[in-house]
Amino acid sequence: MGLRYLCHPPAFVRMLPFFLVPMFAGFARAQAAAPPSDIVIKGATVMTASHGTIEHGSVWVHAGRIAGVGATVSAPGSATVVDATGLWLTPGIIDPHSHSALDSDVNEATSPVTPSMHMIDAFDNRDADLYRALAGGVTTELLLHGSANMIGGQAVVIKNKFGLDRDAMLFPNAPGSIKFASGENPKRVYGSRDQLPSTRMGNFEVMRMAFEDAKHYMAEWDAYNAKVQKGDKDAVPPKRDLKLEALADVLRGKLYVQIHCYRADEFLTEEAIAKEYGYKIRAFHHALEMYKVAPQIAADGTAIATFTDWWGFKDEARDAIPWNAVMSMRKGVRVALKSDSDDHIRRLNAEAGKMVHYGGATEDEAIRMITLNPAWIIGVDDRVGSIDVGKDADLVLWNHDPLSTYAHAMKVYIDGDLFFDASLPGWGTTHFSGVMHDGGGFGSDDEEDGQ
Amino acid sequence: MRKLLVYGTMAVTVAAAGTVLAADTASSGVTAIVGGKLLTVSHGTIEDGVLIMQDGRISAVGTAAEVKVPKGAQVVDAKGMTVYPGLIDPESNFGLTEISADSMTNDLVERSDEIMPHMHVADAFHSETELIPVARLNGVTNAVVAPASEDSIPGQDIFIQLYGSRAQMMLATDVALAMNYGAEQRRRGGREGGGRATYPSTRMGLITELRQAFLDTQDYIAKRDAAAKKDDKAFKRDLKFEALIPYLKGERPVVIGVYESYDVETIMKVAQEFHLKVILNHVTHTQDVLNEIAAYKVPVIVGSIYDAPRANERYDAVYSLPAELAKRGVKIAISSADGGGPVSSHSARNLPYSAGFAVGYGLPYDEALKAITLNVAEMFGFGDKLGSLDTGKMANVVIANGDPLDVRTDVKQVYIQGVAVPMVSRQTQLRDEYSR
Repeated sequence: MGLRYLCHPPAFVRMLPFFLVPMFAGFARAQAAAPPSDIVIKGATVMTASHGTIEHGSVWVHAGRIAGVGATVSAPGSATVVDATGLWLTPGIIDPHSHSALDSDVNEATSPVTPSMHMIDAFDNRDADLYRALAGGVTTELLLHGSANMIGGQAVVIKNKFGLDRDAMLFPNAPGSIKFASGENPKRVYGSRDQLPSTRMGNFEVMRMAFEDAKHYMAEWDAYNAKVQKGDKDAVPPKRDLKLEALADVLRGKLYVQIHCYRADEFLTEEAIAKEYGYKIRAFHHALEMYKVAPQIAADGTAIATFTDWWGFKDEARDAIPWNAVMSMRKGVRVALKSDSDDHIRRLNAEAGKMVHYGGATEDEAIRMITLNPAWIIGVDDRVGSIDVGKDADLVLWNHDPLSTYAHAMKVYIDGDLFFDASLPGWGTTHFSGVMHDGGGFGSDDEEDGQ
Repeated sequence: MRKLLVYGTMAVTVAAAGTVLAADTASSGVTAIVGGKLLTVSHGTIEDGVLIMQDGRISAVGTAAEVKVPKGAQVVDAKGMTVYPGLIDPESNFGLTEISADSMTNDLVERSDEIMPHMHVADAFHSETELIPVARLNGVTNAVVAPASEDSIPGQDIFIQLYGSRAQMMLATDVALAMNYGAEQRRRGGREGGGRATYPSTRMGLITELRQAFLDTQDYIAKRDAAAKKDDKAFKRDLKFEALIPYLKGERPVVIGVYESYDVETIMKVAQEFHLKVILNHVTHTQDVLNEIAAYKVPVIVGSIYDAPRANERYDAVYSLPAELAKRGVKIAISSADGGGPVSSHSARNLPYSAGFAVGYGLPYDEALKAITLNVAEMFGFGDKLGSLDTGKMANVVIANGDPLDVRTDVKQVYIQGVAVPMVSRQTQLRDEYSR
């Protein structure tokens, strides 16, 4: 971990881009140019994720949104035409579980309950891992707190507009998500310090105790508000508590609950606690044993974001099988694939291809696992995740079938703007110049939990 | 540990039960794989090919017109299938780890000293590991097992096949000496080292210690030879020096794991000084010395190609390394190592995809397939026994429903020394149990 601090550029290096601006002035102006308001991508194999594959299809992008998709489109003659003959077009890839660009600030591993942490505070928009993910066709990421804590922090949803300012990279109006964890990580982190929790019993009781605190806090505010409503001018408001506010937001259903969880028994316990306290679980992450209890979880409407074929790296990953995703899908669970890794995030398309091998997913189903389904988990499926009229024009052109080993992204568009073009010299970025930061490390839950 | 042994036994029982028939027919009789597309690796592709296996070896391979199916042979219809030699992983830790995070299941490296050539992977190899059937199902039939990389010299590798009894699996022990050089081997202290640095804590220290070890061995050889001449019974054998002798004599290869350009140049100087027979390993950040590497005329295990480029490098700086080295005439192998994270042979089943990924970034297809078959066999002294579909070689053969390097391809049957290996692992058992 020390190395990461060493690698982090000091302030003067961070400021280099400003000094370099004059050198790249011409280039920079070109970057700043607004994207053409109409683009037609023509002649591609269009994998829509929502309504099958269109051979020799076209997609019309207007003002950053998809305006038409089909064998032909009725774009204006002034549209910029991209000849995509022999190429494949997919929606931008969506990673529902990443810790990229958070440097070493993934885990506030000082207490098992830290719901008022906000990952946006750690987000470094110049991190090279964002660039590498972009070159792999990733256009949206859910950046999550780590898994050291039973109740971790609140996620940030980004559009991978590498080269833009931090706030310009935030996904507009995306719902909030909060990361929970369970199993080995919390009990190891706190158990190794002789603190609660050191067992799975401790893990779950820590959660219940936190929600009891939150209920009490909500009751205090309800009582105060009732007094105010009755005109009681002497009513004293309770102290605002950021931690309890965040927990109250979970109980009010204002935050999507994303739970790091491996074992079948723990999915069931988590669902029982969610019912006891009245919140919904949006998705189990990792979820390597979902194939054992899929029908029960499908009934609760909880999705999963899982690895394709990682297994055996710890005891609770011992029963992981690569057929998990497809088996769970066939039993009614909404399944997404995710990276939890600065490595795998660069090739989620090929990870999806493995689902054809392990369980016989159709190409459509496999593509959905890295587009529309993760979009649902994040709560942005009305905006992204498929090639449909009205959705954001987040699109990736591939040189080969994206579900094969051989594909790489040729062009990546976000909101109709070209952010990556492999044919360009240098990085292939169109909006970034200057110096990237190297967060280093691998970016997985396990690495970041203070192990 | 008890759990582990139970699982191991279970797998072996199942395997044995499923094997009896196939083993009998295959080992005593003749198997003919007919109608498939044969990727021979050594002499091109044969459409509608016939491959005959007898007594654990390939006894004939060619077109349907060239090769007659012997009477009484068990015929395997491979129409629409692709047939290719078993894949060989040039660096694995099969049998040295089970659950990465559970230290009691790991025998990866002896960290008490930097120079540990007398550590033999053969002593720790746990042949019943669950990792082996899992990798085997994707067509990996052979592998080099090496200790982990935290020492300058962590020990000696074994060359295995992924099926059979423990003794049958270890095709050769002490086949190569593992060596490493770079930042990782420094004894910097920190959390794992108890907070205090010890010698050698710098690259200067690492190189000095290595050279001294080789010089000491040369001195030992001289003294030993002199004692032998005088028939001096009092001479005391030193296992550490004994272990280094074959490598100092250039009889067997040393596999040097090194990542950075300047580290490659430094360690190759030492290797040349002592005339070591080198296989370079990793070299993922050497883009500026590729011509120099080619000039060494040594084979290279490239990767993991998934290692991250440096910040400000192009995204494909590492992906394209196999292509760049092959272009310069370097004999390359590709290992199953993943990029960072839980590095272990749990992901060895992805070996063909690493090679395929390199194809995506410019490596010719035939070179990629060689890099996980014949080239590896040749690097480790098995060039005449493994790595291609040729008469006389061990019948390690894979039948799949498509391109072996593509993630979508499903392996249908694996043969190891002519035995149809049961396509079963603990994972398929779990799958089947919960599919009912």
